[in-house]
Amino acid sequence: MTALGAIQLECGMVALALLTLLADAFRPMADKRRLGYILATAVAVLLIYSFTLQAQATTYFHGMYRLDTLALYFKRLFLVATLLVLVMGAEFSERFESGVAEFYALVLLAATGMLLTGSVNDFVLMFVALELVTITFYILTSFLRRQVQSLEAGTKYLILGALSSGFTVYGIAYIFGTTGTTNFDMLAATLKSGTTGPAFTLGMLLVMTGLGFKIASVPFQIWAPDVYQGAPTPVTAFLAVGSKAAGFALLLRVLLVGLLPVSALWTTLVLVLAAATLLYGNLGALPQTNIKRLLGYSSIGHAGYLLMGVAAVNALGAGAVLFYLGQYAFTNLCAFLAIIAVTNATKNDEIAGFAGLGRRSPVLGLALFLALMSLAGVPPLSGFFGKFQLFAAVIERAQTDGQYYVLAGIGALAVVISLYFYLNVAKAIYLQEPAAGAAPIPVSRPMRAALYFCMAAMIGLGIFQRPLVEAAVKAAKVFQLN
Amino acid sequence: METLLIIAVLLPLAAAFLTFLFPSNKPGAIRALAILATGMSLFLTLYIFSQFDRQNAGYQFVTNAGKGIEWLPSLGVSLKFGVDGISMTLLLLVGIVSFCGALVSHEIHDRQKEYYILFLALTTGISGTFCTTDMFFFYFFYEMAVIPMYLLIGMYGSLPPGKHGRTKEYATMKLTLYLTAGAVLALIGLLAMYFAGGKTFDMVELKRNLQLAGATQKWVFACLLFGFGFLASMWPFHTWSPIGYAAAPTAASMMHAGVLKKLGAYGIIRLALPLLPEGARHWANLLAILACFNILYAGWAALTQKDWKFVIGYSSVSHMGYVLLGIATLNVVGVSGAVLLMFAHGVMAALTFSLIGFFYHQTHNRMVPDLSGLARKIPFIGVCMVMAVMASSGLPGFANFVSEVMVFIGAWSQGSTLFRVATICAVWGIVVTATYLLWAVRTSFFGPFDEKWNMLKDATTPWQKLPFVLLLVVLLTVGFCPRLLTNIIQQSVAAAVLKVEVAPVTKVAEVRR
Repeated sequence: MTALGAIQLECGMVALALLTLLADAFRPMADKRRLGYILATAVAVLLIYSFTLQAQATTYFHGMYRLDTLALYFKRLFLVATLLVLVMGAEFSERFESGVAEFYALVLLAATGMLLTGSVNDFVLMFVALELVTITFYILTSFLRRQVQSLEAGTKYLILGALSSGFTVYGIAYIFGTTGTTNFDMLAATLKSGTTGPAFTLGMLLVMTGLGFKIASVPFQIWAPDVYQGAPTPVTAFLAVGSKAAGFALLLRVLLVGLLPVSALWTTLVLVLAAATLLYGNLGALPQTNIKRLLGYSSIGHAGYLLMGVAAVNALGAGAVLFYLGQYAFTNLCAFLAIIAVTNATKNDEIAGFAGLGRRSPVLGLALFLALMSLAGVPPLSGFFGKFQLFAAVIERAQTDGQYYVLAGIGALAVVISLYFYLNVAKAIYLQEPAAGAAPIPVSRPMRAALYFCMAAMIGLGIFQRPLVEAAVKAAKVFQLN
Repeated sequence: METLLIIAVLLPLAAAFLTFLFPSNKPGAIRALAILATGMSLFLTLYIFSQFDRQNAGYQFVTNAGKGIEWLPSLGVSLKFGVDGISMTLLLLVGIVSFCGALVSHEIHDRQKEYYILFLALTTGISGTFCTTDMFFFYFFYEMAVIPMYLLIGMYGSLPPGKHGRTKEYATMKLTLYLTAGAVLALIGLLAMYFAGGKTFDMVELKRNLQLAGATQKWVFACLLFGFGFLASMWPFHTWSPIGYAAAPTAASMMHAGVLKKLGAYGIIRLALPLLPEGARHWANLLAILACFNILYAGWAALTQKDWKFVIGYSSVSHMGYVLLGIATLNVVGVSGAVLLMFAHGVMAALTFSLIGFFYHQTHNRMVPDLSGLARKIPFIGVCMVMAVMASSGLPGFANFVSEVMVFIGAWSQGSTLFRVATICAVWGIVVTATYLLWAVRTSFFGPFDEKWNMLKDATTPWQKLPFVLLLVVLLTVGFCPRLLTNIIQQSVAAAVLKVEVAPVTKVAEVRR
């Protein structure tokens, strides 16, 4: 395959974004929703097309870019997420005053950056991909131009994001200065043979700072609840699913490929961060009354679960992280789809506004309930098996290193805590009666289809885990772990 | 035959999915489907019981000759079911209680569709846990049973205001969090065994492979004991239990007190005892002490209760104490007694809760002092309640008597002073039980008749009487002919517990070497 062939999905995505802008300039579409559905269909075509691509053993662009099983796994994941976010955007588009086409184009550009992150094999490309995602998100988070909250979210994200990008570049410079390479494979080879000094460790820590910001892990998580609450809901969903998965795609490549030979340097750090993130996210979610803010904290908590799998540094853990990210996309997008449908009708993000949802709209109530239960890790939903694997990975590591039992214990505690706040929303949905005069909530047909798709994925992957597990295990073979 | 077992387990779940497709304005059809599914499941279970090889102590009707249906080869998970004497007994219990639970659910008038979906999913969760021989699916079904219970209590339950000042939302949240906390604690122990046992979830293979050092066994056993102990309402982790039952709708109380709670004790018997014999011996004394607290503390707590459901709730915590004491003996008689008591208490608790539900549905009051002379108006319910109370107090002729005696014999013959004292406490517990139950039944069913209960209607139609009669017949049948179950239980317990009794010998042999 030629180099251009290797990036055809990215090219397709960029072309789609440019076409959207051009079409809007010449023949603007009156129906705000329709454009979203058309683009979602186009992305669906790309998704189907991606299954014809084969994993390649070679690298492209001077070793910067890989199209291995891992890259394809992530690319498909991002395509699914983009597809559902576009449907969400279409539902949400009525609330934008102007620039709907720009909104879709920016989503597609962010998706291009995410597609790239799956293939990154070099710090330089990593930075480019990271910035492509982050800069588009600066605009997307403040897209509701007249809402102070949205602007506040955008500003916060911009300042902290710019700071963390600065750290990342600084760290890359240190790593390059001490090892003489930015390529992950060459870095691993250099580290295997040589010793490292404090300058290298500093560089590594700075790079982890930048990635920690992307995945919203402690101590770089402060932005998440505010941005999640303030951003337009489809953007929040994309942040929670796409941006987080992109961060993990990079984190996995950096830690488990480039820095694997010096894993002793970072495992304890990741272990501590995982524990702290678990506790911060889940405890912080307890007093929340706004559903988007709650999901912001919950997303921090989920970064903690995922870090458990990274900290385990074994094949089971890497596969578990990949499976978890895959099912997390369906689960979280299902929750956000339902939230958009409800808030479109009620204009109320507060959990109290979901009272009696089970009666007002059985489909939305069920979808949100199942999504929350999957996030909490209840069988037979996919989140259960995701957590099961992550715990298994940690316990496997604990067989040789007893401190991992502590991590498993904290994870177990986090599960119980999280069940409390998820059930509080479930309580509003099913146990409480709707407010007097509350009308049934209409659900559009594409929305209904997307909800059923997500629910089927959650239940299907929760019971018949095998297809996704095998895909994840195959993708995780890229890391030479046992 | 093995297919029939799978069908018996999964039929309620299939019915739940089918119910999902039903229009919600046809509650009659949905209810009929639920009764049919649980009834069919009970019928299949009885048929399997009739075909059960009573000479064979191991698993029978195993899926695909023990290999199971390959599910996740990379992790060593396969879906397999199989029953031995222990799980056969408990599967019968699920069948009987779920069928009766579906029958008495006519009291639900709102959101029936969701109700029956949850009820049926719960049923499969429980019977799946009892029958699977794969540890992954054991945990899967175990956790699956928890969340339907949250909604069943929260959506359909009722908790009369009282001194406790709590709502049903509080009760159901507490219950769910306690059970989940126990479950994740147990999960850590289960996964530790999985990796130590050569990465297999197969219970039979694990029993063969697992060789854990004594120190490791001790803490893994603690994880399982306390993890499952939460669900078995082991003192001091029992506080979710009485209030949970009090808040639950009738059928949910029946399922929870009757069978769901037994999952905890079953987990200890099925996984902790055979796989971690040294751990079991290490913790047995503490377990016996906690069991005594269960029996006496909950018994005394029941003495002070006024709400019928709280009385029975505490009573069931107290009865779980006997089960735990039986487990702590680590001998065949004691553990078998515990298993039989799980069955007997399950049927008895279901009977009591269904009877309370029957009159509470009409009186909307279940405070013992407010009720008086009900037996004059509802003699059938009164008679059943008296029999249930007699069974609960361990009168001969009922299954409870046999099982409690077995537990006492097991505990006494264990030999140590601690267990002798525990046996005395347990026997004293029977007196306490009789005290509060007889008080409750005398006050509310006998004595002067209060005119305000004149509107009460007795169970008259055969359909109304069926659940009560069925449960009573089971109690009496097993009471008069305990061999029906004790034979197969004892065999399987001997096979499962054998390792516990052999353990000291091998240890001595090791030391000599």
